[in-house]
Amino acid sequence: MTTRRDFLKSSALGAGALAMPADLFAEPGQGNIPKRFVFIRKSSGIRPAEIALPDFSDKDKALDEKKEPLEVDLDKHELPKWLRGLEAHKEHMTILQGLSAKMSENVHWSFSSVMGCFKSNRNTLSAIKRATIDFEIAKLFPSPFGHVELSFAGGRTGIVDGYSAPAPQTRNYCYADPDTARSELFKSVLNPEAVNSDNDMLSFLQSKEGLKASGVRGHERKRQEKHLQSIEAIRERNEKLIKVSGSLAKHLPELAPVHANGGPNASTPEKQAAMTDVLIAALKADLTNVATYTIDDLGTPVTGLPGNETDRVGIHPLGHDEAFGGVPAWKTREQIRISHVNQINTIIEKLKQVPEGKGTMFDNTMIMYFPENGETHHGVGSEAPFLIMAGNNCNLNMSGRYVRLPFLGNEGHKTLGNWYTTLLNAHGNPIKHYGDLDLEMSRKKFDQLGAIKQLMG
Amino acid sequence: MNGPLHSCSVILWVASASIAFAAEKAVPFAVPDQVEDLMANYCLDCHDGDVQKGDIRFDNLTELKHPKRLDMLNRMQEQVFFKQMPPKKKKTQPSEAERRQLFDWISDELRKHDASRFEDKLRKPEYGNYVDHDKLFSGEFKDLPGFTYDRRWLISEYIFNDKFDRMLKGQATGYHRGRKVPVFGSKRFHRLTPTNPFLLPTRSGVRYYANTDLTGGHLSTMLTNAQKAAQLMTDYLVPRHKKSRQQYLPAVVEIMALEDQHIATLKERREFLETNVARVCQDLYGKKNDSLLPEFVPVVLNEAKALEEGETYKKAPIHVAQNTLKNLGGEDALYQVLLNPEVKGLSDLEIRNRCERQWFYNGDHERKIQGRVTMLRDYLTEVRERLAKNGTKIKLRIYKPLTDEEMAILHAAITKYRKQGDFHTAVIDKCMTQWTHDFRQERVEAGPPSDELLTQLVDQLFLQILERPPSADEQGDYLTLSKSYVAKLGNLKAIQKMIQTVLLSSEFVYRQEFGSGEPDEHGRRMLSARDASYAIAYALTDQSPDGELAKSAAEGRLNTREDYRREITRMLKRRDRHYLVDPILIDKNHRENVTSMPIRELRFFREFFGYPKAITIFKDEKRFGVDRLGSATARLLGETDQLVAHILENDRNVFEELLTTEKFYVFHDGDNERMQAASDRIKRIYEYFKDTDWQNFDLEELGKHKDFLREVKIRSINPDKLESGNRSGTGLQLFKKSMTSITARLDKGQKEAAPFDMYRGYGSDFMPGENVSSFFNYPLINWDYATVQPGKVPNRKGFLTHPAWLIAHAQNTETDPVIRGKFIREKLLAGTIPDVPITVDAVIPEDHHATLRSRLAKATETNYCWKCHDLMNPLGYPFEAYDDFGRFRLRESLETPENLVKKNPDKAPNRNHLLDLRDIYKTLPVDATGYLKGTGDPKLDGDVKDAIDLAERLGKSRRVRQSIIRHAFRFFMGRNEFLSDSKTLIDAEQAYVESGGSFDAVIVSLLTSDSFVFRKPIKEQTHDN
Repeated sequence: MTTRRDFLKSSALGAGALAMPADLFAEPGQGNIPKRFVFIRKSSGIRPAEIALPDFSDKDKALDEKKEPLEVDLDKHELPKWLRGLEAHKEHMTILQGLSAKMSENVHWSFSSVMGCFKSNRNTLSAIKRATIDFEIAKLFPSPFGHVELSFAGGRTGIVDGYSAPAPQTRNYCYADPDTARSELFKSVLNPEAVNSDNDMLSFLQSKEGLKASGVRGHERKRQEKHLQSIEAIRERNEKLIKVSGSLAKHLPELAPVHANGGPNASTPEKQAAMTDVLIAALKADLTNVATYTIDDLGTPVTGLPGNETDRVGIHPLGHDEAFGGVPAWKTREQIRISHVNQINTIIEKLKQVPEGKGTMFDNTMIMYFPENGETHHGVGSEAPFLIMAGNNCNLNMSGRYVRLPFLGNEGHKTLGNWYTTLLNAHGNPIKHYGDLDLEMSRKKFDQLGAIKQLMG
Repeated sequence: MNGPLHSCSVILWVASASIAFAAEKAVPFAVPDQVEDLMANYCLDCHDGDVQKGDIRFDNLTELKHPKRLDMLNRMQEQVFFKQMPPKKKKTQPSEAERRQLFDWISDELRKHDASRFEDKLRKPEYGNYVDHDKLFSGEFKDLPGFTYDRRWLISEYIFNDKFDRMLKGQATGYHRGRKVPVFGSKRFHRLTPTNPFLLPTRSGVRYYANTDLTGGHLSTMLTNAQKAAQLMTDYLVPRHKKSRQQYLPAVVEIMALEDQHIATLKERREFLETNVARVCQDLYGKKNDSLLPEFVPVVLNEAKALEEGETYKKAPIHVAQNTLKNLGGEDALYQVLLNPEVKGLSDLEIRNRCERQWFYNGDHERKIQGRVTMLRDYLTEVRERLAKNGTKIKLRIYKPLTDEEMAILHAAITKYRKQGDFHTAVIDKCMTQWTHDFRQERVEAGPPSDELLTQLVDQLFLQILERPPSADEQGDYLTLSKSYVAKLGNLKAIQKMIQTVLLSSEFVYRQEFGSGEPDEHGRRMLSARDASYAIAYALTDQSPDGELAKSAAEGRLNTREDYRREITRMLKRRDRHYLVDPILIDKNHRENVTSMPIRELRFFREFFGYPKAITIFKDEKRFGVDRLGSATARLLGETDQLVAHILENDRNVFEELLTTEKFYVFHDGDNERMQAASDRIKRIYEYFKDTDWQNFDLEELGKHKDFLREVKIRSINPDKLESGNRSGTGLQLFKKSMTSITARLDKGQKEAAPFDMYRGYGSDFMPGENVSSFFNYPLINWDYATVQPGKVPNRKGFLTHPAWLIAHAQNTETDPVIRGKFIREKLLAGTIPDVPITVDAVIPEDHHATLRSRLAKATETNYCWKCHDLMNPLGYPFEAYDDFGRFRLRESLETPENLVKKNPDKAPNRNHLLDLRDIYKTLPVDATGYLKGTGDPKLDGDVKDAIDLAERLGKSRRVRQSIIRHAFRFFMGRNEFLSDSKTLIDAEQAYVESGGSFDAVIVSLLTSDSFVFRKPIKEQTHDN
């Protein structure tokens, strides 16, 4: 039993201690329009100077460079070059600077930690302290797939270990190429036989377990009945997916032949675009309301970038300013970010075309783009700049602004934990604080619990 | 890849579970007269139609709708049991008999509808203490027949790991006393780490109970695990063991024989062609060959643009380029050209062109070729220079054709399918398509596997996964199923589906504990021999019955209490198996966390004391003062396990030893000889150099001592290459760092030196975690190491003064007397403490000029709070003599910015890791006095001077001994004790006392008791409380 004392104590609070994905069972929709969330994580940091506005006034520039609190309206300013692809959607944009992420693992990789606010001990299972923020949000907006993780980390293909975590010491699986993602998410459309054969197996198991149910009494009988219900639930879900495969089919994304068998010859822009298409299709088909998209990590091979079309560039060397094809490293890094921004733009544009409620799907969507490892290639987490694109029905009060919060170690400073708490509180989870605390703030006895009040709607 | 995975994210679309209340319809209900009288006397004054304190009224129970009434009865049941109502301040209180009467009536009503939340609660570990302690041990109830209900018990995370380990033939190893040994308890099996859905709660105390049910979440996760395990079995384990004496699932080998042969042939042909198709075509077509090739189109490369003014460009280094070329699949072709003596002397451009043509004719994708050629353009010169200087491991390939028969097939197919302008890959693909089709036809004509073979498959799967043969009915059912799978899915997928089906049966995830045979006069039956063997095995380990136990069960020698005693005693003495103790410590690179005693014996104390939690508490390294806190904590826990194991090995006065020992392990692997030898080596180095001017050595001077350096082998120092080193420095620099560290350990008259490695660097440490000394107040700069351990450590007595326990029962940055006191009250004194009231915000108020004790006292020593805190605080205060890192202290640091006296550097200057870098704050003296009540022994209860005093008293207490035995009961039985277990508990205590304090004797007593041996079918769920 979770006592109130347990709930309040310690820095490592998870929402409601719901350890098992079982708790995500729910009927979808039920007439309410869900909120949607897309977490896009990138590697090699986002340097705060790169996301600062180029035409700050001298006063604001000084504040920003000294990392002092600041807030300006974006509509009065230009965006940095690499963000200009989102110019048309500036009213939905928030640039959030000043969050720290030192409780997460930084430097080269963060693995699960940047979305769970704990140290990941180099990707060991035992270090996963809690469900990551995407899974916590997904619990609030259940859907058939609940949560989908797409990943280009390490240049892998197929279904592989992901970085999100549904529960402590539990690692998620992810789809590592667009073809696999499409096949799995739309399996009931593309391969109903596979779904049916699962159901044959489940029917058989159900009949076997049903026999065991007779002859037992009391809580053993209840236990057996629960087991049968669980099997039945999965069968029903599979059958439902097949039944709705007709309507799912109209959302089935088309992929170019270059993506077949993991797409070994697809360029990076091609892969990103295809994966983005699958993500959008999954959202539009209501298969999920929460997606995590690891758009790259230090091991992701990058090819076909404008300016480096024939090069295969490495993100890790670029982080050390080691360059390719005669193009200075910073330019290639910028081009990588532009490529990411193109995907964000596509998601927004496509969701804005889908009517929903009194507006469009994008009205109920929030996209977050952030570094997995802080403020630079070998980030320590002193800053973790966030780019947020949120629709008109966003529960938070932040759109259209550049916000710099007080820097780490100062009164009023906010961490990644505070940001995630804000997300949870704003969407129905009243958790007091999500994630581990920052040690420097603890040492200085600064209050660091809770949501970021200035952003709460 | 045939993925599983709707369950990738494990969210399912199901109907919500229904509550256990009956549907709303008219349900007969009446309050008996006697109960009405009781309620009139004690309840209705505050809870009737006129006065409804807390919005509760009882006078209208008969009018309530059924679900609401059940809810009300549930609330009443708890309040009556816990004596929370009537409130204690009320003068009129029911007698025990009246309270019992009311409680029994409420319970009966709820039981009729199986709706008692309280009875569910009482089964939970945190409610175990609510069974009256004195009644349990008084002897009054020792004649009640002990038993456990028939049950299925969900497996634990450890049993899950072992099942997969056994099923997948895992080969984990660990280190025990410096020796590499095979171990049980790993969670990774070859390349598969399944998601473990049976993780136990992380609380302190007994964690593995038989209360948990399988949920949809478990099942969903098991679906994914089953799919991945099935794939590993067919694609890796079966082929891997194909040629060994004991094949893995031989029926699979037979079923797949033809298909495997075809796959192997196709693989061989493809690999041969992909490497040699150019040569084969040349041999086949001769001069005509070139005319059949496609017209060569060179790739277009980006030309590097000129840099803009002020821009700089740093080319990525050669090793990056080589890796990239390898990842692009271009390395082989390049090196075959570079190594070929027939084409020596070619220019860079000629080599590039040659490679490009090869790739082009091969049909490689334009983008890949572009990437490769770009690399060659930018780096080929450097690659050739490197090759000339360092050579390469890549070998020049010598053409070796396949057999004549195979070559004839290849030639025929190429001749048939090659068209003008075809790329080589196109030719290969066409040939492969035809061969694949032909082979498939051959298999269709061969027909499906025979019934006999499929039956063998079923038998083998049952044995491999469920550890038993199928019954005749099961054989029939699964045979039918497998045939339908084969017809729909083909052989391989059918086999994988069969594996999944067997793996997903509830038998895999539930332990079966059902009585069999004739019932005795109390309706009890002994476990079946098979169930008994598993019950015993899982009581002591996480593994299935060992060979002897299984044999005893099979041969009818596990049917009596004496049979049980024999097996249990044997298993307790067994030391030829090794177990990983804590996977978290292994993850933190503490590889020695291995034990040879039955793992659950050790685990009981881990859970009882709760010290493993220490590794999960997020601590500030700056406040610790030295670095590598994670490593130090891992060692701390590992050595705590070692100490428990040491005490259990001696097996004398185990409880007393655990509570009062003054001897601990501090940076020691348990092998005194090895630690002495390691210390001697450090001393030798010190003695050798101490009178030299080593601080000012240059390379030449150090070089004069090469022979000695070779003998003593200082880490990362190559005596023959002192100028080289690693990122921490050259050999000379590393030597000086070592000597600084060694000197600090021995220049103050210390007799021995802790054997840790001298400085930070890469590669494995001799023994990581030397900063564990800081927890015990031993500074690295002045530590007289004890080579013989466990050794006496000042200011410590027993596990309650062990840093591991202290950290586990503290907050991130402060101690926690309440939690520590709660532990003692509940675990050692068998007490109960009500939950924190919902209206209470349980936070210690800040006061930067007061100790934590005084702040806590101010908040809790009030009328309202003290009735509960009186049970905890006085027991927790004595531990204020230790901080939240478990370090002994006489004064408490007031760690707030305004109390800062001296700020020390955050990073060690000159990387001197021996220094304590804690900031210095103002302090106040610690008050470690307390008060003990509840032992029932007036000689022990009373004022307590400090933690040492408290530990001594607890060590002498009979109630403490009995409380530990109660927890042992819960641990080994998987349930709370009831009055019917009274004899079991009394006997266990007696066994402990008569054996001179042997915990083995307690285990044997518990596992041969009626409570363990007998099962009863579920009728009504009453145990007399």
